[in-house]
Amino acid sequence: MGNELIDFVIVSVALLAIGIYGLSVKRNAIRMLFAIEIIINAANLNLVAFGRFIPHSGGQTLALFSIAIAAAEVAVGLSLIIVAYRMYKNIDIADFRSLKG
Amino acid sequence: MIELTSTPMILVAILGTIGLILPLIYIAKNERGSNAFYATITFGALIASIGVVIFKILTDNVLPSALFSKDVLVDDTFGGFFAIALLIVAIFTTVGSYNYMKNKGNPAVYYSLILLSTIGMVLIAYSTDLVMLFVAWELMSIPTYVLVGYIKKDPSSNEAALKYFLFGALASAIIIYGISIAYGLTGSTNISEVIHGFAVLDANMVPLALLSIGLFIAGFGFKMGLVPFHMWLPDAYEGAPPTIAALLAAGTKKAGFAATIRVIVLGTVALNMDWTFALGIIAVMTMTIGNIAAIMQKNLARIFAYSSIGHAGYILIGISIAPFSDIGIQASLFHILNHAVMKGAAFIAVAGIIIALGTSSLDKIKGLGRRMPITALGLVISLLALAGVPPLNGFWSKLMLFGAALDAGPVAPWAPWLAIAGVLNSALSLAYYAWIIRKMYFEGETEKRISEPKSVIAVMIFSIIFIVGIGIFPDPIIQFAGTAAPTISLSASP
Repeated sequence: MGNELIDFVIVSVALLAIGIYGLSVKRNAIRMLFAIEIIINAANLNLVAFGRFIPHSGGQTLALFSIAIAAAEVAVGLSLIIVAYRMYKNIDIADFRSLKG
Repeated sequence: MIELTSTPMILVAILGTIGLILPLIYIAKNERGSNAFYATITFGALIASIGVVIFKILTDNVLPSALFSKDVLVDDTFGGFFAIALLIVAIFTTVGSYNYMKNKGNPAVYYSLILLSTIGMVLIAYSTDLVMLFVAWELMSIPTYVLVGYIKKDPSSNEAALKYFLFGALASAIIIYGISIAYGLTGSTNISEVIHGFAVLDANMVPLALLSIGLFIAGFGFKMGLVPFHMWLPDAYEGAPPTIAALLAAGTKKAGFAATIRVIVLGTVALNMDWTFALGIIAVMTMTIGNIAAIMQKNLARIFAYSSIGHAGYILIGISIAPFSDIGIQASLFHILNHAVMKGAAFIAVAGIIIALGTSSLDKIKGLGRRMPITALGLVISLLALAGVPPLNGFWSKLMLFGAALDAGPVAPWAPWLAIAGVLNSALSLAYYAWIIRKMYFEGETEKRISEPKSVIAVMIFSIIFIVGIGIFPDPIIQFAGTAAPTISLSASP
């Protein structure tokens, strides 16, 4: 059983690394949003995997909450990106330069 | 099960019902209702909530202080203290918005989102379970993403919202990852059980527990504007509607501190390690970088954004020395309440200036003391309080923070340096506050007085009374902060 758990954790850490890489390298707003979603799903995978091995169902409950909340967050994020696209015809956040100091 | 008559449940009932009903009224009514109508309902709901919190605390219906609980929420004075501070900020925002939101469109959704975000902040302060904390965190965050981008036609509001959203969503993702590790290590999401679990952890698992705590610090740090995680903050505060900037600077930031005190401080005590030194370094970096960057800004909103970064550093002093000094957390709580009022008033004053003059640029506020005397007076009082000038409330809380740092000196040799850095930073911050005051009163010609927004005047008068009143009689609030502060020491195991 222990070996199986470590497999899940390795995948989850790999997803976390992919997400952080995407956030730090990409400047396209949708790509960055996807990178954040990958991190959230890495955490969900962790929660579900741990919940399988722990006699306490809190992890799976939290994973369900987290999926629902992430959906709400993506809805807000995509609508902000659409508004930005209408204004700039572009979603590259490196081009958004009206605020500086 | 937590009782339905406990404070957090009543607050959720009041604010949630009103918050959900407002958009329905908007849809149902034919003539759509005016801004004033929705603002009044929101104001009533917030006043009722703050009344409930104060009544519950005065009638001794609440637990003494930050106790752990088997439930997801606990009705204690720690939560009550934060609830009062956060509700005051929400009231400031609502009242200030009454003039700001005229002719802006969609008032119902705007006020509804303020109420929903307020529920999230208040629940963070009351939560004793990581699931509850995460849900409340998102309930606080998601409405503010929309509110920051509320002026759809304005490119800077839009840009601010997108940047704020990307960093905020990253913070949430980091927090949920930290929670997943804590859950995997201890098999529970209840904060007290997590702490018990951390205390009896295998030695080779301790690095993972540290990773989990580090992720919490990073995640909460994004909202609090601690220094390695602050880069989004000035842009978001400048581009956001100034009333919403008040909600962010004085509200969501304080909720982040509530989460920090609940989770990180108590959690790391169980690991029995010297986490405090790291927090002390972050505190010094935060206040220094915030104050130095503030000097170079040309826009009032941006100056206050950097100044609120600096104040996050002061508050963190008290948290970082918590295990060595009895008054560390108490001083932090006192400064949190003071800073909520001072910074809320400063941003509402900026809102008034933007309503009247259409800009918050530092060059355009010459002679403001003659054009808008009451707004300018409120701004001056809050600036002096932020700088820590003696008869005002900011002085007492800074004195307590620095005194606590000196007090911790015998146990932690580095702690007095925090006090020295804090005093130097206060002097530095006085430089740019004095610059603003000079612009307002000693520059420009003989300008004519122009009409000031009524709702902004109301906020200014309340905050002047609060700031000067607490400055003259600080004792009751200090004692209240003392009852709200959890006792933390390295020897006491949870």
